[in-house]
Amino acid sequence: MDSSWLLLLAVLAPGFAGLATLCLPKGWITPRVLLAVSGPALAFVLVLSHLGQHGVAGHVEAEHHDTAAAAHDDQAAEHADKYHADDKHGEKTDDAKPIHLPAPEGTAPLAWVPSMNLSLAFLADGLGGFFALLVSGIGVLIVLYARGYFGNTEQAQRDLFRFYPTLGFFATAMMGVVLADYTLLTLVFWELTSISSFLLIGWDRYDKHAVKLAKQAFFTTGLGGMSLLGGIALFGSTTGIWRWSDMLAQAGEIDFTQAGVLWAFVLMFIGAAAKSAQWPLHYWLPGAMAAPTPVSAYLHSATMVKAGVFLVGRLFPVFAPGIASPDSGLDIWPYVIVWFGAVTMLYGGVTAVNQHDLKRIFAYTTVSQLGLLMAMYGLGGFRYHGVPTIDFDITQIANHAFYKAPLFITAGAIGHVASRSLPELFGAFHKHKAICLTMLLAGYALAAGPGTISFAAKELFLYAILHAADEHPWLWLILLMTIATAACNVAIFVRLLTTLMGWRFGMQAQAKPDEHDDHHHEHGLWGALIWLPAVPLVALQYLGGFITPLWNAIFLPFEKYAFYKGFHGEVPSLIHALLNPSLALVSSIIAIGLGVLLGISKLLRGQHTDVNDYIYPATEATSVGLGRGVFRLLQNGNLRYYIFAVLTTLSAVFIVVVVQDRAMIEVVGDEAKNAFELPLGVILGVLICVSALLLPVLIQRVVRVLLLGSCGFIVVAMYIVYQAPDLALTQLMVEIISVLLFVLVLRLLPPVPEEKKEVGRVVRAIAGVVTGLLFGWMTLVAATGNPTEVLGEWFVQNAYHGEKLADGTYGRGGGGFNVVNVILVDFRGFDTFGEVTVLALAALGVWSMLPGRRKELESR
Amino acid sequence: MSSILVRTAIKLIFPLVLMFAAYTALKGHNEPGGGFIGGLMAAVAFLLFRMTNGRDALVKLMPFHPRNLVALGLGIAVATAVAPLFFGQSMLTSLVVDEMPIGFGQKIHFASAVFFDAGVLMVVVGVSVGMIQRLNEEIDVREIDGEGSLSEPAETEGTS
Repeated sequence: MDSSWLLLLAVLAPGFAGLATLCLPKGWITPRVLLAVSGPALAFVLVLSHLGQHGVAGHVEAEHHDTAAAAHDDQAAEHADKYHADDKHGEKTDDAKPIHLPAPEGTAPLAWVPSMNLSLAFLADGLGGFFALLVSGIGVLIVLYARGYFGNTEQAQRDLFRFYPTLGFFATAMMGVVLADYTLLTLVFWELTSISSFLLIGWDRYDKHAVKLAKQAFFTTGLGGMSLLGGIALFGSTTGIWRWSDMLAQAGEIDFTQAGVLWAFVLMFIGAAAKSAQWPLHYWLPGAMAAPTPVSAYLHSATMVKAGVFLVGRLFPVFAPGIASPDSGLDIWPYVIVWFGAVTMLYGGVTAVNQHDLKRIFAYTTVSQLGLLMAMYGLGGFRYHGVPTIDFDITQIANHAFYKAPLFITAGAIGHVASRSLPELFGAFHKHKAICLTMLLAGYALAAGPGTISFAAKELFLYAILHAADEHPWLWLILLMTIATAACNVAIFVRLLTTLMGWRFGMQAQAKPDEHDDHHHEHGLWGALIWLPAVPLVALQYLGGFITPLWNAIFLPFEKYAFYKGFHGEVPSLIHALLNPSLALVSSIIAIGLGVLLGISKLLRGQHTDVNDYIYPATEATSVGLGRGVFRLLQNGNLRYYIFAVLTTLSAVFIVVVVQDRAMIEVVGDEAKNAFELPLGVILGVLICVSALLLPVLIQRVVRVLLLGSCGFIVVAMYIVYQAPDLALTQLMVEIISVLLFVLVLRLLPPVPEEKKEVGRVVRAIAGVVTGLLFGWMTLVAATGNPTEVLGEWFVQNAYHGEKLADGTYGRGGGGFNVVNVILVDFRGFDTFGEVTVLALAALGVWSMLPGRRKELESR
Repeated sequence: MSSILVRTAIKLIFPLVLMFAAYTALKGHNEPGGGFIGGLMAAVAFLLFRMTNGRDALVKLMPFHPRNLVALGLGIAVATAVAPLFFGQSMLTSLVVDEMPIGFGQKIHFASAVFFDAGVLMVVVGVSVGMIQRLNEEIDVREIDGEGSLSEPAETEGTS
């Protein structure tokens, strides 16, 4: 099968499987689960088979690492894994060497909207392919977990019925984000993830708080999406590049000095930062914890929130300075991203320690880790001995997903059987061994304990900082921030451990929680699904920690960045860290020590309220208040005011136009000469004016209606004088109906109010006269166009027959002698059709707004 | 409005107006008139009839909801608009037969646009009658409840 179709199928499979579950009866839980699982499972297999067949796009086997290593001279390479300050001298020259990353190729595009540079093409390179496997793979586990989480009660049947389609929708959107090759296609799916996230956060539609938080998340990420759209459009229009693969291939030729490229980067980064919860826009992510836990585990820890990191990863080879060519990239890249990432990292870490709710704790550690991932790509903009200080980004991303999803899964499980508040879980291990053990194992990875891949990942990050700090001493500050963050993570693990085990330093609630004994607990395999899906992910953590070569075998094909010679092109194992003691190891040890101390101390044990939580409500309140003010000003409910405002505006605009175009005044002068051609017309015109001018003078409503009617009837006479019988007939009928309806409706109106100010009436009368004159003028101007351009002639000639053809017959005409009618039903038939449709719609409106009174009348 | 003179007069005029409306609509293609005008004429007739003879008389005359007329009219208009597509013509092309025999040795000029016009007529009549009915019902209810009362009409339970 063609790769594009295959990957499109992989993208759509979860969504379609989710929709298909809607066809099953509500009671069929097990078939529903199996059908829902089939979607992401199929996607996983399809992506895997694509990667197996075509390889990871843009990946070059081991030799690539050698070339990168050979980019600097042997002497530097020898010293590369040590940190001699004196090595700094003379390394500057290496900075000029570009890295020559192989450019991945996207699949052949399937045309969608080619004119807008939007087609269906996919890019399964290391980053995209890995993310696709992550999304679909964890998707399978989450579908199973949702079954355990919701249970098999009657409520669960309703929940699962609604849940799987929404989850499938999200999975499809996310697969699209990570696989799309066209920038705009990524944006389309990006927005879909925001929408599905909104639906899932506000899952409990009757919980006003949850709905509010869903809106908060939607608006924040939605604004980010707008920013991303701006960035993509700006980049596309500046450089003409609308595909990621083209962007990667042509990165060396882009002129990065253009302002458009710089702003495109800024806008895209704002989009990525909003999606990946970077400070100060991170507030939506802890808020998103209102969602059911399967959603938190899937969207808000493992996949969707990484979309921003993914985007920055996509942009990295293009925008990071000096990667593609010596002049390519933006020098601000590392400074902007490292700072935002590092602040987010530390802020998230410290806030996480200060929480009691397990989901909030893990939410803030997610924020923290997302900051770290951002900072990692930011650091890649620096050099160490000529090579960028970034290694094994995929391992970093995978590491976080593999411990954070299990943490959420088990948090949901323990919340289901006991409580989600940490102090209330004192000693819970002894009751819920399996769940707590899984959580602690994942928590150990959160603390980046030795023996997990998390430890290696943290080492890699520390190496990157230390390497880059060689030339940029301010990065030592970032190192301190990282150590502080790591200590916070360790402290969280220590608190988890001591509390769950019921040890001395654990957190203890004053009041014992009510045990949810009345709660319905399922047993057996289905019941165990509430924690079992966490196990394979945790297992991967320890597999990576203890059998690092196996990890390398699985994940190295996805890795693009393995620059640092000291790692020999492989993710460093624990043994490597111990055998090559460095400042990174020392930092780790300091962090662990500080973390244990913080964990058992009495410090930071409260529940911190995040000041950023007020950003959105305050913004919303301000803008809603502003909007309400404007609304009250413009929409005061007085129909007379509306008409007055509309007409005076129209008159004002017309006057402005006339002032600028003198020709419109001359036209009137020319036409005025013909005004008295038809004396009868003049008399009728005067009559119309007289009856119209009487309107403001006479106050009684019935009189006014009759006056309006008389205006209309005189217009009918005018039509007859000017020989337009069709118009005259129609006008006559319309006038009769209007007068009759007016008379009918008048009886429903309140009595005429006492006019308080005569001034208002005078002003309105003047405005009316002015508007009338201007309309007359406009009509006059419109009627005096160049006669040869008037369509009327053509209509008249073709009303019955079309043009005479060479063989003596006629072409197609309207087939009627009444030109007006032929126009209505033939030449302009579409208009008539539209008009009657509008008429029917208006009637529908009347019928729905005025409730029928038939029954009431009949009952009397 | 319930003067016996007016009521009787309208009863006499009503069928004549309807006939004239039909005539105007049919002749429309070649002489002044057409579906829209015809529909409006019929609407005026119905309106006067309703105002003088009351609701029940109109219901007896038109024992279905006017929306059915609107739906039918729109349906016919769509059908005539789309039909030419099946003969390879563009939308709304009308079929013209200059001398179509209608029996008794008579021949007429026929254009398929007449169906479109008939659809327009039905929509116009349906919409007008429907709106008039609703407005009149509203007025009738309020007049029973009290002259022109502005408050929401009282609940009807127990008042009958």
